[in-house]
Amino acid sequence: MRLRAAVSAALASAGILLVGWQSGAHVANTGSTAATTSATTSNGTTSGAAAGGGTKSGSSGSSSSSGSSSSTGSSGSAGAAAQAAGTYAGSVVQTRFGAVQVQITVKAGAITDVTALQLTDEDRKSVQISNRAAPLLRAEVIKAQSAQVQTIGGATVTSDAYLSSLQGALDAANL
Amino acid sequence: MQRTSKLITAESPARSAPALKSRTFQCMGTVISLALPTATGGAADGGQVLEGATAAVERVFAGLDAMFSLYRPDSEASRMARSEVTLRDASAAFRARFEDATGWRLLTEGFFTPERPDGVLDLSGIIKGYAIDQAATALESVGVEDWCLNAGGDVLVSGSPAPGTGSPWLAGIVDPHDRGALLSGFPLGGTSRFAALATSGSAERGDHIWKAGMGRTEFRRSEFRQVSVAATDIVTADVLATAVVAGGRRMLDWATDSWDVEVLAVLGNGELIATSGFRA
Repeated sequence: MRLRAAVSAALASAGILLVGWQSGAHVANTGSTAATTSATTSNGTTSGAAAGGGTKSGSSGSSSSSGSSSSTGSSGSAGAAAQAAGTYAGSVVQTRFGAVQVQITVKAGAITDVTALQLTDEDRKSVQISNRAAPLLRAEVIKAQSAQVQTIGGATVTSDAYLSSLQGALDAANL
Repeated sequence: MQRTSKLITAESPARSAPALKSRTFQCMGTVISLALPTATGGAADGGQVLEGATAAVERVFAGLDAMFSLYRPDSEASRMARSEVTLRDASAAFRARFEDATGWRLLTEGFFTPERPDGVLDLSGIIKGYAIDQAATALESVGVEDWCLNAGGDVLVSGSPAPGTGSPWLAGIVDPHDRGALLSGFPLGGTSRFAALATSGSAERGDHIWKAGMGRTEFRRSEFRQVSVAATDIVTADVLATAVVAGGRRMLDWATDSWDVEVLAVLGNGELIATSGFRA
């Protein structure tokens, strides 16, 4: 069982490395994560072999597709069953920002780390995933003059306030 | 058809100020206005297209108001507030909106809630958005493709103010500190990804949003004076605008992380926080 887990982890590591190789910049980080995790999983003598195998596959493989790594990850988790430990790459998910793939590190059945394997768009340029709101000067927002707009948005206008509102004026002009 | 395409050609040079015809009616304590480009409905058939479309929208709003208004003693919502009926006995339509609202409460971590602090079920926070959404279906079914519907400051559009050009509708956003001025603008419909813009705040109706919902409710002031949310649909825009006013910065980050939206928030001191879509 332990050997099987180690082999699974090695396979998973190899898959992860392939993805890392493919996405270029992440190779160094991913490699070290995989090696560390393999050592943790197999607890001793087999750790060197597992990590070494992973590294070798990683350096030789350059044409593997991202999809294959995800299936390797799941077979690893099935083999290790309840005491699942190691790193697993998720499948590549297409978002409006491009392809995204994450890797989880599991120790003693709990997720201890989540890292991004792939955060790139089709042009392989990094993109801003977050669209969080940030302070903006009034001069920096999209400007609009009353004469240019076709409708007016605002916090709910009561029937009484409508007549003196900008929307009221706009509607009156279009009656 | 021939006549229509001629009008479109004539309309094109005036893209900056497309000619519109609008009709208004009162419902849900506010004024609802429907605007159509003169080219495809506002003036066609002597304005009959616009009249028919407005009537269709008004039927949708009136029907929902009759069921959900707490200002109408005979509404299903009022009977429920008086405990004359329970949710179990409520109509299927009423329960469906209740389900929508409770679903949104889960999605917004309680910052949007269908219950007032006094425990009365109040679905009005979701009904206006739902009415606008249903009005869109009604407009589609009467065959109108280019329109702009504004219900008390919440906006949903379809098509373009200059039909056939793909140019979006431009919605102005009122400055909460100066109701006669525009703070910003946002393109809707046309080539824009977003069709809906909803705004919530304390500018018109006082602090009408209950902070942080039941359980942890207190009437503290929101850190935001006004929050505008652009989304692909009006219910999402409306609910999230309300939730962000109630939930502050935390809910704002949750909204922009979890939904495809653009947000412009005005702080109490007039400073702005916005997502990149609002940047000029």
